[in-house]
Parts: sequence; structure tokens; C-alpha cells
Amino acid sequence: MRKINTISDLEALREELQNFRKNFDTTLVLCGGTGCQASRSRELINRVKGEVTKQGLEKKVLVRATGCHGFCEQGPIVVVEPGNIFYCHVMPDDAQEIIAETVCNGEVIERLLYTDPVTGKTIQTESEIPFYRSQDRQLLAQNRQVDPCSIEDYIAIGGYSAISKTLAGMAPEAIIEEVKTAGLRGRGGGGFPTGRKWAECLEAPGDEKYVICNADEGDPGAYMDRSVLEGNPHLVLEGMMIGAWAVAAQQGYVYVRNEYPLAVEHIRVAVQQARELGLLGENILGTSFSFDVEIARGGGAFVCGESTALMASLEGKVGEPRPKDIHTVVDGLWHKPTVLNNVETWANIPSIVLNGSKWFASKGSKNSKGTKILALTGRIKNTGLVEVPMGTSLQTVIFDVGGGPTGKSIRAVQTGGPSGGCLPIDKFYLPLEFDALAEAGSMIGSGGIVVMDEETCMVDVAKYFLAFLQDESCGKCVPCRLGIDRMLEIITDITEGLGTPEQIDLLEDLANTVSETALCALGKTAANPVLSTLRYFPDEYDAHISQKKCPAGVCQALVTYSIDPEICTGCGICKRECPHEAISGKKKQPHKIDPQLCQKCGICKSECNFEAIQVK
Amino acid sequence: MIQRVAIKIDGMIIRAPKGTSVLDAALDYGICIPHLCRVPYLSDIGACRLCIVEHVVNGRSKITTSCTLLVKEDMVILSNTEEVRKLRRNIAELIVAEAPNSRAIQDVALRCGVKEVRYPFRNSDCILCGRCVSVCTGRFGVKAIGFVGRGNERRVETPFNMRSELCRDCGACIDVCPMAVVPCGGPMKTGEERLCGNCEPKMAFAEQTPGFCVWCDLGEGFQCERYAMGLRK
Ligand SMILES: Cc1cc2nc3c(=O)[nH]c(=O)nc-3n(C[C@H](O)[C@H](O)[C@H](O)COP(=O)(O)O)c2cc1C
Ligand code: SF4
Ligand code: FES
Repeated sequence: MRKINTISDLEALREELQNFRKNFDTTLVLCGGTGCQASRSRELINRVKGEVTKQGLEKKVLVRATGCHGFCEQGPIVVVEPGNIFYCHVMPDDAQEIIAETVCNGEVIERLLYTDPVTGKTIQTESEIPFYRSQDRQLLAQNRQVDPCSIEDYIAIGGYSAISKTLAGMAPEAIIEEVKTAGLRGRGGGGFPTGRKWAECLEAPGDEKYVICNADEGDPGAYMDRSVLEGNPHLVLEGMMIGAWAVAAQQGYVYVRNEYPLAVEHIRVAVQQARELGLLGENILGTSFSFDVEIARGGGAFVCGESTALMASLEGKVGEPRPKDIHTVVDGLWHKPTVLNNVETWANIPSIVLNGSKWFASKGSKNSKGTKILALTGRIKNTGLVEVPMGTSLQTVIFDVGGGPTGKSIRAVQTGGPSGGCLPIDKFYLPLEFDALAEAGSMIGSGGIVVMDEETCMVDVAKYFLAFLQDESCGKCVPCRLGIDRMLEIITDITEGLGTPEQIDLLEDLANTVSETALCALGKTAANPVLSTLRYFPDEYDAHISQKKCPAGVCQALVTYSIDPEICTGCGICKRECPHEAISGKKKQPHKIDPQLCQKCGICKSECNFEAIQVK
Repeated sequence: MIQRVAIKIDGMIIRAPKGTSVLDAALDYGICIPHLCRVPYLSDIGACRLCIVEHVVNGRSKITTSCTLLVKEDMVILSNTEEVRKLRRNIAELIVAEAPNSRAIQDVALRCGVKEVRYPFRNSDCILCGRCVSVCTGRFGVKAIGFVGRGNERRVETPFNMRSELCRDCGACIDVCPMAVVPCGGPMKTGEERLCGNCEPKMAFAEQTPGFCVWCDLGEGFQCERYAMGLRK
């Protein structure tokens, strides 16, 4: 590929690429993200490509393997353009039919369409599907338009025009001002104003400065950064280039989690392609701006996502946080001024530069602007990656996008990843934004949303997250290492029916101490799961302590299994399946569980065809 | 010439050379801020969190460790507020619950006002303060020991679990180890651990002048920096 030396070179290439794409009648967009790969999308892509060649349609049909479309549970997903026909759960064997019917004959294949679980009707296009309808997919929608391994695709849809606009005449101060007025706040969890961070770095003394992209994403169940980096790596690179120009950095790093092989691969290819085109390296687009990016693979610990731990890890040291009395924008990587931003933060930059801060600030709430990608999971109908304007209510996300409960009624939501908090259903009016959620004792964090129904025990939830944080705490400072350990000890007591009312006070006192005094944000936020459940579900704690009951029937030590004699038909399945021989009864007569023998394994409950097993 | 800056700790104006930590500056003036992981003249790791103070910026105060906070002109520090005392007490309680069998730790707890321990005692051999690692790597540049593992698994270890070639048998790690000082009454048996409390009368004087170093003797036990620096003699 030829090198691009000037801005007009870039524009000429863009025009050429766009004209080339006009030659195709049909585009088949196939999702090749990590989620869909798990459901054999790789094979499907090969079959579709093979079929296109076999039919001699290479000049007419463009096959594009893209990053994640967000609705992974419906994968693999195929979208046929024009017409935007949305096929889900497509199997490799369907390739031929799609080419023959839809591409050649223009027929829609009914059985591959999405069925609305509420109405039971099939839906033809993505924009009509309730899951997508209530979203505003500024970043995620771009995933559909590009093959992540093709810089040409990215350029064809207008990519790298933000950096050319920047270099053509926006001073660093002007860029920073634009980012400031846009009101962009960091998407990595803290919500720190990005423009202010950049300004401080630009002002910091020193010639050598760095920009880093944080793609460590260690939260269990989170994959928003993965999908952006994997699906549209050039967007992130372009954001970093603009940031580097704004703070006068010459070197950037992408610190990406080792467990994300596809993301590592795609960003590596992207950097390689950008270098070959001359978009990274010396004198970019014929200007004095020089910048390059290196990829570093993460150490695999959750705490390595914390800014100072990440920098230590990049320097080849143990990934442990250090005190931040001097900010990393002044004393960061190798003691040089450094800007660290999250993947999604970087990805927002090009459109701010192109469309202006006003455009960006028109979305979102008063103090949280733009859109946010969320990983929606739990006991709801639609799960997946969701992008909504900041300030959208929890209600909308859970019931409109998420489609409401799967069975039992919804009672709470956990937001913000392991160190976020739990909010009860009467708080679902709250907008998803930094300040409102923080005030309510939770946070938006990196964007994890776990919906919980009546079968979830809130004490158990707190215990689960504490256990995660205990494992992931680096162990350096006392409040976090010992504090989490003791909180977990107390909560475990409570779930086992050994709790006392005094322990609640102790738990609260300890939780506050940990959040006030821990060294890094892992410890400072570790008490959130405890404090928020104590605040909103005190009755549930009380039931565990004074009545020795777990209302949700989750805490094994506090539940008893019994058979409802009214419902039991005496079929005998449970008796046969119980590994502890705790069930007795005659054929066709109600059976009984011997509480002495019952080990509460739950096998009878899952085996019973009549839901006669009660857990109370 | 050494540049000096003026800061205010608990209302008292203190002048300290630029680049010193608030903890050092305070100790120099005899203001008592309890601390544990700090080893004099070495860079601080901010791990024990006992040395917390309130740092007042624009009328809002923030809890931070004084050993990692460098002095700055016109800085306002409160080292002995109700809030600080409470948090410090809670932290010390966590530490002493792990290590009742160390006189040094018992002394720290007493100095921080721990009167009861609300957790079951555990009898650990190491409280991971990191003083030994600091001395070995920071003072001697040897790295014969270091931390491995994270969370509950964290421990101090020699490289590859073998005696390091680098170790010079200097014994500095043992000198600074708070676990090496047995309580006066001898080791406590499992199940019989308690707050020793024998030195409580010594605190009486300190309680009347809270925040000021009265060479409380406890400091010797918990290896307060003032003793360690040999200021006494
Ligand atoms: C324990 C811990 C883990 C973190 N993990 C991540 C992460 O995986 N990705 C991320 O972008 N930020 C993470 N952060 C936040 C970073 O420290 C930092 O604030 C962020 O990357 C800054 O970028 P932003 O301003 O764009 O959000 C983590 C913070 C803590 C305390
Ligand atoms: S708060 Fe936890 S993770 Fe952070 S430094 Fe302390 S021990 Fe490590
Ligand atoms: S944290 Fe300051 S002395 Fe330990």
C-alpha cells in the first residue's frame, strides 16, 4: 500500500475506496466478534465466502466480517444490506440458502428472523427489534460498518478525518477546549473529566509524555471495551492520536488484557496498517506531529486496570497501585506526564472533533454527556451490549431494552461491576449517570448491569462480590486486605445463620473505614456492595440474623427442602435421583424429605416435573 | 541552600525542607502520628495506613497518609481529629486482631486507642507491613526478599523460595520486624489471645496531650521513627 503523505493523499484514497464500494449490490455483514465466534461464526463466514465465490458473485456481493453487534445471545448474526434484513442464530448450513434466496432472489427467510419474545411475531430489520429500538448506538453501530482488520473500511466510512482536521488547524489548546466543553468524562469508572486531565498533562513540565489506552477490563461479565477494541480498533487509535497531539505525547501504549486474543490481534493489525500508511510514525500527514503506539499485554489481574498499577506493570514491575499524592498526569509512566484513558473514552474523541462539542453535549444529562456502553445481563429477556445516552433511566434499560423479567419478578439491579452497588426496584427511576448513581450508593463504573429477581439473595450477592474483591485485592494495604477479609468473614457468618445484630454495626463501621482509608480505588469502593445492600435491604439481613431465614432461598444453611403434598404426584423421580437417599414415599402417594439426611443439593428441585419441591 | 516551606499541622506552623513528607515534618516537631510500615530514610509505600491525617484543601478535607504526602507551602493538615482517630483505631484493630502475639503491634493498637477487638483473633506470623522488604530493597538494594501473590495469598518470600545468593545475612529485616518482639507476658496460646493492656497507664500522659510526642515508651515497642532515628540520645 502506498504511503499517505498529506491530507489530500488521504482524501484521494478515501474517494477511491468509496467508489470501489459503490460497485457492490449487496453487502453481507457477518458478526465475527468473540461472542459470535463461540457460536461458530468463523465457520459461517468461511461458508458464506465460499458460496459467494462458487456462485461467481465476488464482484457483486461484499462479505464483511465485523466486530460485535451487541446482541450476542442471538448470534451468529447476519445483516443483509440493502434492506437491513436481520438474521439471527445463523448456522453454517444456512449460508447457501441466504445467498440463493435473499441475495439472488430478494426473498426474506422467515425462519432466520428474530422473534419478539413478547408478541411472538417475527421482525425483519434491526431497527424494529425492541432491544435495538431504545438504544442510541453512536459507537457500537460503527462496528457494523467496518471489518476491524481493514483500514480501508475505516477510511471509507470517514475514518482518520478527525486527525486530519486536528492536524490541519486545531491547536492542542483548541482540542482540549473542545473536549472540555463536550463534557466528556472517563468511561473507565471514575468519570474524571477528560479535558481537564489532558489540560493538566499538557501543562505538566517535561518533553517526554505518554498516552495510554486502558483495555484491561477485568470486571467479571464486562466486555464493552473488548467489543470496541476488537470491532473498531482504528477508532481507538485515532482517538489516541488526537489525544497525543493535544498533550504533546510522542508515544502511546495500548494495555490490553491477555485474555482477549482477538482484541490483541486486531489492535496489533490496526497499528501495523496505520504504520504502513504513514498514519503512525514520523511526520504524520506531512506535519511536525510524530507518534507511535505499542501494544502491551496485561498481567491478568483485576487490579492491573488501576492507573498506577497499570503503569507499574507497563514498566515491567509488579502490578501494584502506589499512592497518588502526585497525579499521574504529572508523574506517570516512567515518572513522565501521562494521560491514561479508557477504550471507550478514546473512541468518543474522533466524533467530538468532527461533529463538535455541541453535538456531543446534546446527548446525555446535565453532568454526564454522550452515550455509554453497558453490558446488560441477569434475569431479563434480552442480554447483550447496549448503548444508551447517559441519563437514560434504569427502568428504560431494564424493561425496554432488556425486555423485562424472564420469570420471577425483578427486584434489584447491580450496577458498576464488582465494586458497584445494588439498587432496589423503587430506585429504577434513577438516570444512568455518574452523579445520580454515586449519590444512591452505587456507580456507573465501567457499565456492568446485572438484573436480579426474587430468587436472588442480596446478602449472597454482597458475599459474591466481596469474595471476588478479596481475591483481586493486591494485598498491599491493610484496610483493603484485612478489611475485605473481615467483611467477608462477617457476611459469611450471616449467610450461615451465625450472625448477630451487633455484627451489622461492625460491618458498617468497617465498611466505612475501608472506603475512607484504602490506598487505591479498589479498596475505596470495595465496601459498596456491602453498604448498598445494607442500605436498601436491611430486612433481608435481619431475616438472616434474627429469623435465621433466607427469604430468597439461596443461602444453603438457612433453607429447608420440603415437598408440597398437594402438588406431589408420587412419581418417584426425586426419590430415585436423590444422591443422599433422603426422600421416601410410596408410588402415587406424596413423598417426603428427611431433613436429617437432606444435603440441600437441589437435585430434586431440578428433577421434579411438577414444581412440588419447596425451598424455604 | 535547602528550600523550606511552611505548613500548618493542627494549627501549629512548621517549617520543613522541600521534599520531606508530612509525617517526617510532624515527627521532627514532636507531633505524634502513629505509623508502622514507614522505615526512616526509605521511600514510603503507604501500606499500613495508620499515619492517616486530614489534608484540608479549599475548605474540604481529605483523608490521606502523611508518609506519602509531601509538604507544600501553606498546606493545612489535621492529624488528630475525631474522624482520624476513629479510622486509625479501626485500622489498628484490624492489625492487632491478626497479630496479638507481637508486643510492637499491641503497642500500636494501644497508642491508637484500641480498647476492644471485635473480630476473632488470628495468630499470624507476618502482618505484611513490608518493613523487611523496604529495608532489604530500599536501604541495601539487595532484593533478597520480596512480596509474592496477591490478596489473601500475599506473603514475603525469597526468590523461588530458596535462600537468595544476594542475602548478606545482615539481619536488618529481623531488626525492623514488629513480629520479632514477644509480648511481656510471653506468647499467648491459641484461643487465649487478648489485648494485653499492661501498658495502658503509660498512655495516661499521652492522652492529656494528644498528638504530641511524650516519648511514650510504646513508641520503642512499635518502632516509632523517632526512636529508630535515635533522636532520644
Ligand atoms: C481496581 C481497578 C480496576 C480498574 N480497571 C479498569 C479497567 O479495566 N479499564 C479501565 O479503563 N479503567 C479501569 N480502572 C480505572 C482506571 O484506574 C482509570 O481511572 C481509568 O482507566 C482512567 O480512564 P478514564 O478517565 O478514561 O476513565 C480501574 C480502577 C481500579 C481501581
Ligand atoms: S486498596 Fe487494595 S488493591 Fe488498592 S493498594 Fe490497597 S490492597 Fe492493593
Ligand atoms: S502508611 Fe504511612 S506509615 Fe504506613
